[in-house]
Amino acid sequence: MSKHRLRGRGRVDASQPVVFTFDGKPYTGLKGDTVASALLAHGVHLMGRSFKYHRPRGAIAAGSEEPNALIGTRRGPGRFEPNTRATVQEIWDGLETNSQNKFPSLKWDVGAVNDAAYMLFSAGFYYKTFMWPRSFWDKVYEPFIRAAAGLGVSPSEEDPDTYASRYLYCDLLIVGAGPAGIAAAREAAGKGLSVVLVDENSEMGGTLLSEPQSKIDGKSAWTWLEDELAALKEAGVKLMTRTTAIGYYHENMIGMVEKLTDHLPTLPADTPRERMWRVRAKQVVLAQGALEKPLVFHGNDRPGVMLAGSAQTYLHRYGVKVGESPVVVTSHDSAWYAAFDLQAAGAYVQAIVDTRPQVRQDLQAEARTRGIPVKLGHTVTATGGRLRINTVRVNPLNGTHVGNGQWIKCDALLMSGGWTPSLHLFSHTKGSLIWDDDLTTFLPKDTPEDCIITGASRGLWGVEAALKDGSVRVGEALSKLGVEATVSDYTVADDRVGTGVTMRELPTDRSAGKAKAFVDFQNDVTAKDLRLAVREGMRSIEHVKRYTTNGMATDQGKMSNINGLNIAADALGKKQPQVGLTTFRPPYTPTTFGAFAGYHRGDHFEVVRKTQIDGWAEENAAVFEPVGQWRRARYFPKAGETMDQAVARECAATRASVGIFDASTLGKIEVVGPDAAEFVNRMYTNPFMKLAPGKCRYGLLLGDDGYIRDDGVIARISDERFHVTTTTGGAARVLTMMEDYLQTEWPDLNVWLTSTTEQWSTVAVNGPNAAKLLQPFVKDFALTEDNFPHMSCVEVEVAGYPARLWRVSFTGEIGFEINVPAPYGRALWETLWDAGQAYDITAYGTETMHVLRAEKGYIIVGQDTDGTVTPYDAGMGWAVGTKKADFVGMRGLKRPDLVAKNRKQLVGLVTEDQSCLEEGAQIVLDPNQPIPMKMVGHVTSSYHQGTTDHPIALALVEGGHSKMGETVYIPMPDRTIAAKVTGTVFVDPENARLKI
Amino acid sequence: MSKHISSLAPSVVVDTAAAHVAVTPMTGRISLRARGDLAAIGKAIGVSLPTQIGICAKTDGIEVVCLGPDEWTLLVPLDQIEKVQGALATLAPSLPHSMTEITGREITFQIEGPHAADLMSIGCPRDISTIKVGQARRTLFDGATVVLWRDAETSFRMDVWNSFAPFLASTLETGAKELAAELA
Repeated sequence: MSKHRLRGRGRVDASQPVVFTFDGKPYTGLKGDTVASALLAHGVHLMGRSFKYHRPRGAIAAGSEEPNALIGTRRGPGRFEPNTRATVQEIWDGLETNSQNKFPSLKWDVGAVNDAAYMLFSAGFYYKTFMWPRSFWDKVYEPFIRAAAGLGVSPSEEDPDTYASRYLYCDLLIVGAGPAGIAAAREAAGKGLSVVLVDENSEMGGTLLSEPQSKIDGKSAWTWLEDELAALKEAGVKLMTRTTAIGYYHENMIGMVEKLTDHLPTLPADTPRERMWRVRAKQVVLAQGALEKPLVFHGNDRPGVMLAGSAQTYLHRYGVKVGESPVVVTSHDSAWYAAFDLQAAGAYVQAIVDTRPQVRQDLQAEARTRGIPVKLGHTVTATGGRLRINTVRVNPLNGTHVGNGQWIKCDALLMSGGWTPSLHLFSHTKGSLIWDDDLTTFLPKDTPEDCIITGASRGLWGVEAALKDGSVRVGEALSKLGVEATVSDYTVADDRVGTGVTMRELPTDRSAGKAKAFVDFQNDVTAKDLRLAVREGMRSIEHVKRYTTNGMATDQGKMSNINGLNIAADALGKKQPQVGLTTFRPPYTPTTFGAFAGYHRGDHFEVVRKTQIDGWAEENAAVFEPVGQWRRARYFPKAGETMDQAVARECAATRASVGIFDASTLGKIEVVGPDAAEFVNRMYTNPFMKLAPGKCRYGLLLGDDGYIRDDGVIARISDERFHVTTTTGGAARVLTMMEDYLQTEWPDLNVWLTSTTEQWSTVAVNGPNAAKLLQPFVKDFALTEDNFPHMSCVEVEVAGYPARLWRVSFTGEIGFEINVPAPYGRALWETLWDAGQAYDITAYGTETMHVLRAEKGYIIVGQDTDGTVTPYDAGMGWAVGTKKADFVGMRGLKRPDLVAKNRKQLVGLVTEDQSCLEEGAQIVLDPNQPIPMKMVGHVTSSYHQGTTDHPIALALVEGGHSKMGETVYIPMPDRTIAAKVTGTVFVDPENARLKI
Repeated sequence: MSKHISSLAPSVVVDTAAAHVAVTPMTGRISLRARGDLAAIGKAIGVSLPTQIGICAKTDGIEVVCLGPDEWTLLVPLDQIEKVQGALATLAPSLPHSMTEITGREITFQIEGPHAADLMSIGCPRDISTIKVGQARRTLFDGATVVLWRDAETSFRMDVWNSFAPFLASTLETGAKELAAELA
């Protein structure tokens, strides 16, 4: 048994010792311990160093609100987590833990020099100190601040754990399984509702775990708890422990993080570390309880200074005495019970110091009986001890006068400044709060959500009050859910009800300006920082918060917000509600990135779409690239080839004989109905009314504004059926745009749109031998120039599969696109591949496709256009049906700025020195003009792997169409490149190669 | 992510104590869009068209689900597609509609087992319990649009465009293993 462990006390299992390490030293705790409780059992209070001043710190609390005892935890390679709260982390055999923010050791830390120099680090010190000289910011200040900022060390290895997520719908979600939450669950259980009760702790029970003395309906608290939870489980209530409701979002959506493995000595297979629950609850009951407030006095952060209620928790839940000779300082009745309980457990309580001149007689009598000295109307003005408190200075208060101090020896100082209702989730709902002068705190008022708040989180005190309130308040939710509201009565004996007063900084006889009286322990904000902020002009609590960083640490101001507000309000001479409360934001407690990412990490990071031919590409060593959500084969390198070499080979082979390309990702929309032609005609710039079935036409799609949005080839399958293709990335967008017009502008048209992108696998074969390769597989149909000219389509059998065969070309070569029902794509591909060996067939990817089309001046929407390019700018006025009555963008094209001269126009560029331009490079007319130069355009596409004997580029240049043959300049970091403006067609301008 | 899935090669995606997921063989599918005299269409194809979104009907091997105010998906045995197409074609002049075959577009996962519904809840933001047996919904699963059919309390079919199938198969596999681990 470790020194401070009480045999037979607590909920830990004395028969199951657990060995873990802290800073390399092994400690033995018990199953059920947290790191903090196990260390405290060994008398170890020093657990970390503070953020700014590197002051020694110990656990101040026993739960998730802990601001000080932040540790690193490790479970082998990759499984390291900084800033874990020692008060929450359960121990298991082999757990490695480390203190943080210290060098070289926790007990002797160099950074603590900051503490001596604290006068330099007052509120707003970043703003004041690092303002000048300005030039120091980038090189000196920012790197320094970045290095000094933050607690703990970021993990550097990839996290091998997995994370999960799940949706959950329920009738009633109850957050917090203390007396109020359990009482609410009891009324809801067994009524045919789906009820979920969650608690962030490893065990349910809340305050009952720390107050076993109370007797509920004649049962001891823990027996009652056990029976009650068993009954709830029996009644079908879903009980979830280690599950934190981190945020309350619109329409009763609550985010919850369940920790599944952090408490286990060995990791079970296929089990995620954490799971994010996205809960949609018809009704929510918030029963999150209250958090104890620290008192604010000089030295209130020394290890051994702890919240009195937390000392109770360590005693009753973990069987750990946090001190042998503690002093209690309080302004609330509740801490008196901590003194009594510790005394009963064998500690020698040195004194109860209460700031109030009058305290309940029964408490005083009890203290007298137990022989505990009582100092009413006293204040605490200092503490002593280096790494652990060993003395406290206590002074009498006489009105505002502070008398002489007296030092009292102690090994722990248990403080209580009263209790603050936990309103975090309520606040997330945009719930309004109301100030209660008697309790000196905000209480919940109204919320727009279907949400009820009960128990200590609405300012009630005592087990009986919480039970009754939970039972009554849940009735409103039950009525809304259409079941009968019932109320159970509870009688609680040995209940500890109490009251208190709220203090600002405790009065002192010393210089308040030198006091290190901490308000925010995690961000090292003192009372004098807050008063300084007010003196320097901050008026709103929001400004005070940002100037001092009070409440901005990972604990979300759970302890500091209300004390900070009280002090700021006092400094301003205003009432607290006029100064305001800062907004609580999700998450309630620090949450891992893993929990948010869920399954979406590694190769499951984002949706990846694959064609039915993707497997062939993968087997044939394709290098892939993402195009929207698709992954597409970019090129097919042979052994030892670079991308440029592979692309050059693929380009040459396609122009020399035949290339094969997976074009399945092209968007496809089937437009069907009596008004199909009319619809297509209205959407696209080109005329479509007279396009005959069996023919294809290129289509250009504009927005209302007249700019190019998408393009593609459109085939008329029959009178009332069109097969429209879109760009790969534009498929969903174009369908949405078409549906938008159809449903809102032309609902009278009898035409319907169906996405057929994935109905078809599309295999493109291009090259002088394309027809020869394909002909033997096409049933009863001649692929001749006469029978099947360029821009034709036919429904025919290809290699035994029903196909829509198109004669189109995006390369300038003889080209076919064979559409077969998607599952047959790979078989068709392989058939053509095998037969193509006779023609040295080459598979090519998107990179070669880009080069070959650029050589022909075919644009890629989104690359050569950027949403500000008209058909005329792109040199595609031929695609605009000037005789058409209307089409989308027709009026936009007539806007003055779209018909103005000197617009940026698409041209070709050929460099004088044969260098390949950089895509995106800016273009100027006069390279010798002063900087900043006037930029007249930019390079949109540029390639050097093609079949021309020089690199080619496409560019948008102001007035480019009238600059043919002129020289423009492309300034680069190392030199300026001269290029000649040309047309956009670099290969076969007569289109002779398209002929079979 | 080197999974490739084809309806020509039905396969088991994952089989655990919690759930069994398999790719089903190819079946015929037609997307039907129409308004007006729906009874005539129902008569022609042999199944009356449900008019409430999410409601299904079934006769003689043909299954239909209403997915929108003027949208239905028909599941038709492969050898009956032409018959259905022909029946619809005769209606065309007097009853404008759109009939588009989407047999090749989709892949179907059959999801069965005691925790099939829980498996759906890892990726589908809908309340699965509101999908009654015999109904279907167009919804989302792990970022992809799917049509989810509930054939029994513990049996679902999930239709998804084929390019999404490998990604969703990986989600389903992870989930089925995770749920099985919870049973252990």
